[in-house]
Amino acid sequence: MAAFLGPFLLLLAVFQYWPVAQMVRDSLYDFELLNPGLRKFVWLENYLYVFTDPDRQQAFLVTFGFAAGVVATVIPTAFLLAAYLNGRLPARAVVRTIVFLPVVTSAVVIATMWTFLLEPNNGLVNSALSAIGLPRLAFLTSKAQALPSIILMMLWQQTGFATVLFLSGLQSIPAEVEEAASIDGANTAQRLWHVTLPLLARTTVFVVVMMTVFSLQAFAPPLIMTGGGPEGTTNFLAFDIYTLAFNLQQPGLASAVSVVFMLVVLAISLLQMRLLRARWNY
Amino acid sequence: MKPLRIIAGILVLLAICAFFLMPYAWIVASSFKPQLEIFRDVKPLSWRTFITLTPTLENFTQLFRLRGAGGAMVNSAIVSLCQVGFTLAICAPAAYALTRMRFRGANVVFALVLMTFLLPIESLMVPLYMTVAGLGLQDTLVGVFIPWIASPFGLFLLRQAFEELPRELDEAARIDGAGHFRIFWSVVLPNVRTALATLALVIFLFSWNAFLWPLVILSSPRNAVIQIAVAQSVAPGQLPNWGETFAGATLATVPLILLFLFLQRFFVRGIAMSGVKG
Repeated sequence: MAAFLGPFLLLLAVFQYWPVAQMVRDSLYDFELLNPGLRKFVWLENYLYVFTDPDRQQAFLVTFGFAAGVVATVIPTAFLLAAYLNGRLPARAVVRTIVFLPVVTSAVVIATMWTFLLEPNNGLVNSALSAIGLPRLAFLTSKAQALPSIILMMLWQQTGFATVLFLSGLQSIPAEVEEAASIDGANTAQRLWHVTLPLLARTTVFVVVMMTVFSLQAFAPPLIMTGGGPEGTTNFLAFDIYTLAFNLQQPGLASAVSVVFMLVVLAISLLQMRLLRARWNY
Repeated sequence: MKPLRIIAGILVLLAICAFFLMPYAWIVASSFKPQLEIFRDVKPLSWRTFITLTPTLENFTQLFRLRGAGGAMVNSAIVSLCQVGFTLAICAPAAYALTRMRFRGANVVFALVLMTFLLPIESLMVPLYMTVAGLGLQDTLVGVFIPWIASPFGLFLLRQAFEELPRELDEAARIDGAGHFRIFWSVVLPNVRTALATLALVIFLFSWNAFLWPLVILSSPRNAVIQIAVAQSVAPGQLPNWGETFAGATLATVPLILLFLFLQRFFVRGIAMSGVKG
């Protein structure tokens, strides 16, 4: 038994449980990564700072705003796309493959790609906007447009994933249900809203939580596209933790942010499990 | 009415495909162009933006000669293959123990594993860096993959596959006098090949695309993996060479896209199962 399970549990203890314990301890200290032996116990000062410092508050706000924006755009788009692809279509498999491509492309390549797509002078998007007579936009360099631009990128990246999940949900709905609804005279929109959507409640909860957690963990976009700016408007938590610890040499502070962040993500995941376990009455 | 609807449907499909494919087309086509040609072809928009009639390999040769893209690709391949191999070697026996051996506390063990499934790695980077550095593994390729080979997702996926395997199979083997090692190796493993392949592909995908952790733990240029090499050519404050950056992005993406096109069903199933742990 030990031979089978031992290595797994040992590695898990060293690389998951030990770091979590260390993180909680570190969050109570003030020290530098270069010199971790020299540390000062500061009680809950780091946490106080996390909850009162305007930059940290902004990081939390921006990260959750980003997640909300991603969920609000990806879910309806993916749902409609899945409903559309679920019909009898030529080349359905090809379309599904194409929308799934961004899911297997790395976050780095996607962030890189979109940095240049959204580049104000020579980017493809501005060039397309000019071609149809619209004004060019500043995108990532503008305080108001940077966050929406990254949400747009996430929409492009994650729609395929959400669509595939919705599609597998749709395929589990018996065809008779939809037929019955159309015999009763429901049009397409009514059918989607009153029949399909409620039947997909579980899938929807799953996709919502997945998109939320993905968005909360976004790191490559601020690092590659904006550096967290302009003026902290894209300073996502993962990036904030990284800069605090490795650039500003404040690992204690970074640990306090991490602990709060981890608790929030845990809470969301547990909420998901509860919701998924709940019975849905059709 | 009918033909009109069909035409409208085809147009919608084409629009969807264009929306998802155009960025790739632009990047790939531009990676075969010199910088000035990229700028010239994007304004105004035309078919030239997405195709080049006079492709040059200049960007790629520069990448390999001056920026060490070859080394980064090799490093990525080493890390990803090791991560796949070790993950399978660590998770498969653990899944066997949880499904085929009776012992007290099996449920507790599984709950402990499940908990870590929910931890975002983004929150763990600082203490994990200190742990791995404490083991003397910072700035090594081993340090890049070793924290992830005891994968809760891997255990989860394999456990499910092992449970679905009828127990009569191993009982028959036990009557023939086979022990646990033998049953594991010659009865269970050959019957869960699909699950093993799914896990291998998904781990390869995660490992190849990983960015945050390699960035934290690696420091010297000769150890850089391909994602870091690509990111370094665009980070804010740099004056990027567009063609070279696009060539790097193309290099980093092509192996995965090829794998995905040939083994699509494993990917989609596996990624859907990977759940919260992106």
